[in-house]
Amino acid sequence: MIRFLAKRTAQAAVVLLLVSVIVFVLLHQLPGGPARAILGPKATPQAVEHFNHQQGYDRSLPLQYVHYLRRLLTGDLGESYKLNQTVTAVLADRLPRTLVLTGLSIALAAVLAVPLGVLQAVRRGRIADHLLTGAAFLAYATPVFFLGLVLILVFSQRLQLFPAEAPQADTVGGILSDPRALVLPVVTLALGIVAAFSRYTRSAVLDNLSEDYVRTARAKGQSNARIMARHVLRNALIPLASLLGLYLPTLLSGSLVVESMFNYPGMGLLFWNAAQGSDFPVLLGVTLVVGVATVLGSLFTDIAYAVLDPRIRSVP
Amino acid sequence: MTAAGSVSAAPATPGPGRRALAVFTRDKPALAGAVVLVALMAFCFLGPLIRPTDQVHTDLGRANLPPGSPGHPLGTTDLGYDMLGRLMTGGQTSLEVGLAAGLLATFIGTVYGAVAGYFGGWLDAAMMRITDAALAIPALFLLVVVATIVTPSKPVLTLIIASVAWLSPARLIRGEALALRSRDYVHAMRLMGGGGTRAVFRHIVPNAIGTVIVNATFQIADAILYVAYLSFLGLSIPPPAADWGSMLSTGITYTQVGYWWLIFPPGIAIVLVVAAFTFLGDGLRDAFDVRLQRTRRNRR
Amino acid sequence: MTDSLLRTDPRLPTDSLLRIDDLHVEIPARDGDRRRTVHALDGVSLDLAPGEALGIVGESGCGKTMTALSVLGLLPGGARITGGSVAFAGTDLASAPEPVLRGVRGNTIGMVFQDPLTSLNPTMTIGAQVAEPLLLHKGVGKAEAWRRTEEMLRLVGLPKPGERLRTYPHQLSGGMRQRVAIAMALICEPALLIADEPTTALDVTTQAQILELIDELRTRLGMALILVTHDLGVIARRVDRVAVMYAGRTVERAGVRALFAAPRHRYTQALFAALPERAADASQPLATIPGLPPSPADRTRGCRFAPRCEFASERCETEEPPLSTDEGASRDAHAFACFHPVPPDADPVAQLVPAVPAPVPVPADDVLLRVTGLTKDYPLRGGPFALRRGAAVSAVAGVSLSVRRGETFGIVGESGCGKSTLGRLVVGMEPPTAGSIRFGERDPAALDRRARKAHRREVQLMFQDSYASMDPRMRVAAILREPLVIQGIGDRAGQDARIARLLDDVGLPRGAVDRYPHEFSGGQRQRLGLARALALSPSLVVADEPVSALDVSVQAQILNLMRELQREKGVAYLFISHDLAVVRYLADRVGVMYLGKLVETGPAATVFASPLHPYTRGLLDTADHADPGDGAGVRPSAAPLGGETPSAADPPSGCRFRTRCPYARDICAREEPMPAEPGAPGHAVACHFPLAPAAR
Repeated sequence: MIRFLAKRTAQAAVVLLLVSVIVFVLLHQLPGGPARAILGPKATPQAVEHFNHQQGYDRSLPLQYVHYLRRLLTGDLGESYKLNQTVTAVLADRLPRTLVLTGLSIALAAVLAVPLGVLQAVRRGRIADHLLTGAAFLAYATPVFFLGLVLILVFSQRLQLFPAEAPQADTVGGILSDPRALVLPVVTLALGIVAAFSRYTRSAVLDNLSEDYVRTARAKGQSNARIMARHVLRNALIPLASLLGLYLPTLLSGSLVVESMFNYPGMGLLFWNAAQGSDFPVLLGVTLVVGVATVLGSLFTDIAYAVLDPRIRSVP
Repeated sequence: MTAAGSVSAAPATPGPGRRALAVFTRDKPALAGAVVLVALMAFCFLGPLIRPTDQVHTDLGRANLPPGSPGHPLGTTDLGYDMLGRLMTGGQTSLEVGLAAGLLATFIGTVYGAVAGYFGGWLDAAMMRITDAALAIPALFLLVVVATIVTPSKPVLTLIIASVAWLSPARLIRGEALALRSRDYVHAMRLMGGGGTRAVFRHIVPNAIGTVIVNATFQIADAILYVAYLSFLGLSIPPPAADWGSMLSTGITYTQVGYWWLIFPPGIAIVLVVAAFTFLGDGLRDAFDVRLQRTRRNRR
Repeated sequence: MTDSLLRTDPRLPTDSLLRIDDLHVEIPARDGDRRRTVHALDGVSLDLAPGEALGIVGESGCGKTMTALSVLGLLPGGARITGGSVAFAGTDLASAPEPVLRGVRGNTIGMVFQDPLTSLNPTMTIGAQVAEPLLLHKGVGKAEAWRRTEEMLRLVGLPKPGERLRTYPHQLSGGMRQRVAIAMALICEPALLIADEPTTALDVTTQAQILELIDELRTRLGMALILVTHDLGVIARRVDRVAVMYAGRTVERAGVRALFAAPRHRYTQALFAALPERAADASQPLATIPGLPPSPADRTRGCRFAPRCEFASERCETEEPPLSTDEGASRDAHAFACFHPVPPDADPVAQLVPAVPAPVPVPADDVLLRVTGLTKDYPLRGGPFALRRGAAVSAVAGVSLSVRRGETFGIVGESGCGKSTLGRLVVGMEPPTAGSIRFGERDPAALDRRARKAHRREVQLMFQDSYASMDPRMRVAAILREPLVIQGIGDRAGQDARIARLLDDVGLPRGAVDRYPHEFSGGQRQRLGLARALALSPSLVVADEPVSALDVSVQAQILNLMRELQREKGVAYLFISHDLAVVRYLADRVGVMYLGKLVETGPAATVFASPLHPYTRGLLDTADHADPGDGAGVRPSAAPLGGETPSAADPPSGCRFRTRCPYARDICAREEPMPAEPGAPGHAVACHFPLAPAAR
C-alpha cells in the first residue's frame, strides 16, 4: 500500500502544480493582465507599468510563474477589489460554510442512496426498480437550479414549510442552529448525488450478487439477508469511497448554484458575486482553492479506498 | 472431415450497423428519446415560422400575463414577451450551442485521447496529467471565469464550453484506445506484417466509433446544461437574446410572487432535452455493444 | 417415465445417503422476442451410499454442474426444479423450503467450487470465512470456532494456520485458496462433500495435491464425495463409481473400473476414444465425435446422442432409451441408456479408429528455427519511489532449441513457466532481452522494415482464444483476407479462391465467409484461427494452447485437423500446452519448461517414456491419466511434486528447480546445470543429477 500511496500522492502533487499553472495562465488572460487585477481597473497606465516592473511582470513567463508560485505558498492570493480584504481572509471565512453545506448533502445522499440502491437491486425488474430508475434518470436530467426553483415554489411559496433563504449566521454553529433554513439548499444539492449513488449502488450490488463468493456463502447456509449484510454490501460499498472523490467537482459546481440561489454565504456565493462584479482576484482565488480541494479530496478518498480494500491495503 | 453444421446456408448475417439498428429500434426508451428530440427540434426551429412572435421589443403593458391569456397560451414574461414564442427562440440558442459545443468537445477529446492512448508511455502520462489538472477545477468554475473575461456570443459560448467539455471524452477515449491497442486481433494483424495505420483505421477506429458516438450524445446533453447554468448565473449572451437557462434565471426573481409559468416551461424543456439525449445515448450504447449482443444471443 | 428399472425394483438397497431420481431442471430463456424453455436437466438419476465417492463426468453444457447445484438448491436465477426428487438422509431436498435447505448447506453437505479466486470473499479474512458455517450451524462460541478453524486449516495443509486466520484470499496462491475452500466446506464435518471441478483452475502439480487432499480427508472424516469434472483423468483414480452425463441426462452409470475397461454407451465409448492418451499410436488420428452436443433449448425426441452416433437406428430417433442394465439389478450394476450398446468384450477404442496413412517422416537435419540463449526479462514497474529499482521478472531465461522443417515441437510446462512468452518471442510479438532467433540463415531482428514484413509470412501465431484474436466487426471473409491484403498476395478473385480453399482445408462450409466470429462455436473458431494462421503458407505456426479451452471431443477434431494439415502443407508447429497428453500425442519432439528454463528436450516418445529431469518425472507422475489402474502399484514410486513454483521475480539461485527437487544438493544452489546428453543422443537435460533412464 505504501507504494500505491506514494505513487498516488506524487501524482496529486503534479496535478496540483498543473492546477496552479492553469490559474496562472487564466490570470494572464485577464483584461489588462495581473496589474489590473491587483491595482484595480482605475489605475493609470503609469501605475500599471510601474507595478509590472516592480512585481517582475515584465520578465519572462517562467520566471513570473516561479514568483507567483512563491506567493501562493506563503498564502498570498491578492486583494479583493470590492471587499476591502485579502482574498485569503475572505476564503478563510467562507470555506468552512461551504464545507458544511456540501458535507451535509453528501451525508444525506449516502443515507438515502444506499438503501434505495439495495432495494432496487433486490427487486430488480419489478415495479419499485422501474419507478426508482425512472426517478433517477429524471434527477440526472434536472439541472440543480431548476430543481431548487421547483422546491422553493412548492415548499416555500406554496406550503410555506421551509424558508427560501439559507441561514445567514456568521459562524458554522450559527448556521447549524437553523436547520429549517438548511433543508432546501441541502436537499437541492443532494438529490442529484442521490440519483448517481443509488444507480451505482444498484449496479454494484447486482454485480456482487452474481459473484461466485455469494454462491459460496449460500452453500454455507447463510440467509439472503445476512449475505447482503455481511458479504455483498461491504464489497459493493468500498468503491463508493472513491466515487465520492469523483463527484467532488459536481458537488462544488452544485454548491455554486445552490449558494447563489438560496443566498447561502459560502464560497459559491462569493464566487458568483465576484463574477458579477468582475472581482478577478477573488474569482481566481476561489478557482484555485476549489481545484486544490478537488485534488486533495480525491486523494483522500483514494487513500480511504486503499485502506478499506484489503487487496490494496496488504500489497507492500 | 466434418465441422459442426450450425453454420449453414442461411442468408448472410447483417453487419454491425444493421444489428445495432435492430437492437436500437427494440429499445423503447431510446426510441422515445429520439422522437422527443425530433419533436423539440421541430418545435424550436419550425415553430417560429408557423407562429411568429416578437422576441426583440419589450411590451411592459403585457408583462407577466398568466397562461391561458388571449393570444398567449403560456402567458408572458416579465418584459411582456410571449412565453411560447420565447421558449422556441430560447431553445434555438440552447440546442445550437449545445449541439455545436458537444460535437466540438467530442471531436477534440477523441483526437487528444486517441493520441495519448495509442502512443502511451510518457506522452500519455503527460497528456493525462494535464487533463487531470483541468478536470480538478470543476467545469462550472472554469466556465464562469472564462465567461467573465470574454463577452459571450453564440460562437464564443460554443468555444468556451467546448474548451472545458472536451476533457472527459479525452479520458474515456484514451482508455478505449489503450485497451484496443493491446487486443489480440491487433496483435494478430501486426504479426501478418500490418502497420500502425492499418491498426488505427481498420481495427481501433471502427471498434471505438461506438464509444465515440455514444459519448457525443452525453456531451451534447452536458453542453446544453452548461449553457443553461451559465445563463442562469447571468453570464450568457446578453438580452434580448434568450435561452432556457436565462429564462429560468428571470423566473427566480418572481418565485416569491408565485409566477410559476416563468419557471416550469423552460425548466421542463431542459429536463426533456437532456433526458432525451441520455436515453438516446443509453440505447446507442447497448446497440453498439457487440459483446452485449452476443451474451443476449447465448444466454443459457 | 424412463428409468423404471431401478426405481421400481424392490431389491434396491435403501441405505442410500443421496438419491436423485429423474431430476428435471428448466430455465426460462428468451431468444429475441421468442420465449422458450431450456431443459438444463432432463432426467438425471444417481445414488450414493454413505462414504462412497461418485464421479459425474461430461462435457461443457451437459448439466453436471447444474446437477451438483440442484442438490443444495443453489440453482442460478430463473432455473427451477420441475420434476424428480433429491432424497438426502430422508428429506426431499428438491421440494424442501429454503430454511430446511439452509440447515443442510454447509452443515451436512459441503460444497467446493471451481475457481478458488472468485469463490472466496475478497474483503473478508480467511478465518472469518471458514468459521462462518460453524457459527451458523453448530452454535459454538467465537473462541471455540476460531480454535476449530485453525485446526481445520492445519488439516487441509495450510502452513502456519494460526497466522493465516487473519489474512485475505488474495494473499494466498491458487492451490492454497482451494485448500481454504475445502476447509470451509468441511468445517462442520458434513456427510457429503460436493466438489464441482475443484482442480480445473489449477496447475497439474497443484491439482494432484488437492485431489490427494480430498481423498485423504474423505477417508479420515468418513464422508461421501461427489466429484464433478469434465476430465476423465481426474476421476479415474479418485472415485468408486461414475455417472456419465450427456445433454442433461445420465447416459451411463457404473463402477469406475468397469466403465474405464468397457464403456457401454456409444457416447462414453467415443469420448474415451477421443482422449489423446488413449490413442493406440501417436501416428494414428484420434477418434472424433462429429458435430456438437445439442443445444439444451432444442429438445429432441429419442436419444440425444443419436444425431452424432454412427450406430443410431430409426428407433434411436423416436424413442428415448431408458437407463437399464443387462447384469441384473444390483446397485453396482453397469447401467446405460443406449439401444445399441458396445458389446461387453469389445476393445472400446480400436473399433472407432479409422485407418489412415502414417505421417511422412521428418527429414532429419533440416533445421527451420534455431533459438539460442533466448532471454526475456520484464522490468517490475514501480512508481517514482519504487523500492526495488532494476528488479525484473525473469520470464524466459536462456532458452535454446531448434525446430526442424515440418515437425511438431511441443513445449510443456505449468502456468508461469514462460512457455507463452517464448511463443511470443519466436513470432516476434516482443523483442527478446538477449539471445537470438534464426530462421535458416535469416535473423529477423537484423532485417530492414520491408524484409521483416516479408518475413512475417514465415511464422504465424495460432491464439488460445481465437475469438479475442478476431476483430468482432469483421466478417470471416475480411478476417481471412486481411493477411493476403497486407502481404499483397493475389488480386481480389485470387484471394476469394484462396479463402474458399482455406475454409475447405479446415472443414468449414464456404458460406462461413458472410458470418461474424461470434456466430461460431469454440471449435469452429479454432478452425478459423488455424485457417488464418495458414493463409500465408507459413513454414512455422506457433500454437499457444490452441485446444485447452475445448471439450475433449472437439479437441480431438482440432488435433486431427492440425496434424492432417501439417502432413499436407509441411508446416512445422511450435505447440505450447500445459496438457501432457495432448503434447505427447501431437509432438515429435518436446521441451519441458520450468520457471523460464528449458530443463529437458528430446524426442517425445523418449522423454515421456524415460524422463531424465526430476521435474519432468514429477509432472508425468502427478498428471492424472484416464486409467483407474489395477489397484496396486499403479502410482509410480517417485514422490509426486510437492510445494509450489517460486516467484519468477526472484528465482532460486543455481538450478531453479532445486527448491522442490528431492535430489537437490549444495551444488544445485551454487551452480546452474548446463544441458547435457547423458543418455540417447538428442535427449538433453539440464540437471546435475539426471535420473537414470527407466529400464523398460
